[in-house]
Amino acid sequence: MKGKNLLVMMTLFFFGAAALSFVVSQDQKKGAPWNVPAEYKAMKNPHAGQADLVPAGKMLWAKHCKSCHGNLGLGDGPKAASLQTHPGNFKEAAFQAQTDGLIYYQSFIGRDEMPNFEKKIPEAEDRWAIVNYIRTLK
Amino acid sequence: MKKAILLLLMLIPFCGVVRAQEETVEPEAVQKDRPVRSPWESGYLIDNPTSLIPVKNTLEFVIQHKFGTVENGRSDLWGLYAPGSNIRLGLNYVLMTNFQVGWGITKKNMYNDFNARWTVVQQTRANRVPVSVTLYGVMAIDGRSQAYFDGMRYNHSSDPYSPLATYSYRAGQRFSWFSQLIVGRKVSERLSLQAAASFTHYNLVERTGDHDKIGAHLGGRFKFSPQSSVIFNYDIPLKIKSISEQREWVDHPRDNLALGLEVSTSTHAFQIYLGTADGILPQDQMLFNQNDWTDKGLAVGFVITRLWNF
Repeated sequence: MKGKNLLVMMTLFFFGAAALSFVVSQDQKKGAPWNVPAEYKAMKNPHAGQADLVPAGKMLWAKHCKSCHGNLGLGDGPKAASLQTHPGNFKEAAFQAQTDGLIYYQSFIGRDEMPNFEKKIPEAEDRWAIVNYIRTLK
Repeated sequence: MKKAILLLLMLIPFCGVVRAQEETVEPEAVQKDRPVRSPWESGYLIDNPTSLIPVKNTLEFVIQHKFGTVENGRSDLWGLYAPGSNIRLGLNYVLMTNFQVGWGITKKNMYNDFNARWTVVQQTRANRVPVSVTLYGVMAIDGRSQAYFDGMRYNHSSDPYSPLATYSYRAGQRFSWFSQLIVGRKVSERLSLQAAASFTHYNLVERTGDHDKIGAHLGGRFKFSPQSSVIFNYDIPLKIKSISEQREWVDHPRDNLALGLEVSTSTHAFQIYLGTADGILPQDQMLFNQNDWTDKGLAVGFVITRLWNF
């Protein structure tokens, strides 16, 4: 009888631990609010609404952003699962309500797991092309 | 045939120039003219360099690998497990805008190579400059032990009929040079092409070989998705009698044809291909490639690059 109880306990412990491991490994934290300098908050997009930049933005997105942020900006790219912070869902209204300057800062200056892209994307027009493409993801 | 190939090489970089001239009429477009976006995804196009040089202070690590030829079929898994593989590990650094220097070491002949690449002119978006022009140079040192040199008979004289009994080893005989002028054009968002002419010199070659070789090169990529492309290169060591030391070529180097796929990300480019040459250094390919792509002389190879910005 004691042996049977022990077996039940061990089985429960094993499945409990297994179930817990799923919860822990998939529990990415949500990013804290960004502390964006005033100059970026006030930054205007000189190419706002320029639809001809969107194809270039899409190409640059595929090269630099897609691996973490996913094809549609849902934060489900192949590298996203290994991040401690979820890359965010760019379709959400709260994200799209931000100004272009805020998106620019988050995208190219970065912090923590979000790398700086200023040297990888040296031209300002290319960066704004990505911002314009992000605007199409909503 | 060779004349037709040469004519093609000369014409391809100028595809679209006529259209380009029409576009440059608008003064505002000229004022804003800047280099085209991503003419290539990497500084490598299989066995050739491209005009793409990363931003200043970028360090690039490159792994170039070629397996054995497919000629033995499944017995060595089409060359993947063949002993005749070759590998080069290299580091490149962008010292200043559009100028890069590099060093690498190759398994075949234990070459140490020092190279430099300078994109003199970049193609611009409004076609004010319709092509990019790049200069590339490689100096390599054969790193094998002296025994390899002692045991062979070489044509180290300008007179191919001179007696060869007085051969003596000198360190300078390990050196070889390769210089190349590359003209490239991003024809459309999907298609980029380049053509090049090269000059190769080895200080020491076997008796039946030439010290010098002029080559023609053609390469291109076709993007079929934002990150993926089909790529090719074709290198032709030209048979020019006036610079040859041979009455008849016994084993003239063969053309190098390669066709592959490229996938690139922000900091990596990965190219996998099926190609002819077993050598990785361009001068080795231009003077010593004996694999024939029409006779199972093809091998799987890959190029991986990784960039770090400082």
